[in-house]
Amino acid sequence: MSAAANSASYWRIAGMSYLKYSSMCAEVVRGCLKEPFLTKAKPREAVYFKSVKWTDGKPGKPVVTEVIPPEVTK
Amino acid sequence: MSKRVFRDSISLLERLRRSELQSFVGTRALQHIEFRPSPSSCTLGIRTVSLQVVAQRMKSVGNIQKITAAMKMVAASRLKGAQTKMETSRGLVQPLFRLLGDIPGTTSGETMIIPVSSDKGLCGGINSTVVKFSKVVAHSSEGETSLTVVGEKARGQLSKSYSHLLRNVILDVTKIPLTFATASMVTDVILGQDAPKNQIIYNRFQSVISFKPTVATVLSVEEYEKASDKGFNKFDEYELEGPGRSELLLDLAEFKMGAVLYNAFLENSTSELGSRMQSMENSTKNAKDMLGKLTLLYNRTRQASITTELIEIISGASALEG
Repeated sequence: MSAAANSASYWRIAGMSYLKYSSMCAEVVRGCLKEPFLTKAKPREAVYFKSVKWTDGKPGKPVVTEVIPPEVTK
Repeated sequence: MSKRVFRDSISLLERLRRSELQSFVGTRALQHIEFRPSPSSCTLGIRTVSLQVVAQRMKSVGNIQKITAAMKMVAASRLKGAQTKMETSRGLVQPLFRLLGDIPGTTSGETMIIPVSSDKGLCGGINSTVVKFSKVVAHSSEGETSLTVVGEKARGQLSKSYSHLLRNVILDVTKIPLTFATASMVTDVILGQDAPKNQIIYNRFQSVISFKPTVATVLSVEEYEKASDKGFNKFDEYELEGPGRSELLLDLAEFKMGAVLYNAFLENSTSELGSRMQSMENSTKNAKDMLGKLTLLYNRTRQASITTELIEIISGASALEG
């Protein structure tokens, strides 16, 4: 992306997308919360999905992306 | 002559009986039922048909009825929470569509079609609708098309005939309660394909009985720049501060994709619950009807055999008396 290359933002230069950057910022802000708000907000960080790349009509190996904060029980 | 007519009518009635039973217990179970031609028995073979198969069938239909009723209750209890969450997420997407526009007619090099389906079945026809719409969009869009499928059900249907178009399959997004963080990471996977035009197809939840298949279009930053130049959206009416126009558009395009996907996942899972509630209600009703019919058949046959035995005893007794 040309716009990404021309970007002046330091996080863009570091190869982050806007969503990655904003979710990192959100994590930091959440970390500043006090109890009991922290335990309420922490589950919003949880990520879980499985992705399978397909090339030439054949599936590759499934990759599980799982970021579950220790505070959150499955 | 009269004897032959009698035999014919018996075999005819037996055949009728067989076809009636077949409609209830199915052909496979019917093979296990023994039909003994018994012209001497004046009860047309009723006694010789085992009721065991019908009893088994009644038991299994009763169990199915219980299971579907429970599934309906589960879907109904989860629906309310899902609906609230989905309605809040609409507030995230609408302003972005107002600002950048939904421009489905954009002609660009490649179109990425993203059908959003559920991971579990037994929820009516919502997944088939999404797959059908995706096929139509894939055939009608100009240039190259590729697919990123979300959910097990659409994968099952599309991986057979459209495997050459598949780039990515995303599964289990709603295994834990969906977060915006999950949606943004899925977005990063999809945007990694660098398609200039992404079309997300999902079921928009209208009410518990109505789901509208919807196509949301998210373009890449270059396409949005072109669209603003042509005046397809009102982006240029805003005065900008801070970073340049293209950079801001890039951020917005990425954020819009994330928000649209988050909303689409939620809309689709709410529709899934609503649709499951409905279809499970229907199957509970069907199971109940079927159980009623089977019970009737069971009781009628049993009563017939009792009557026959009584008649035999009485006629035997009267024969002795006479």
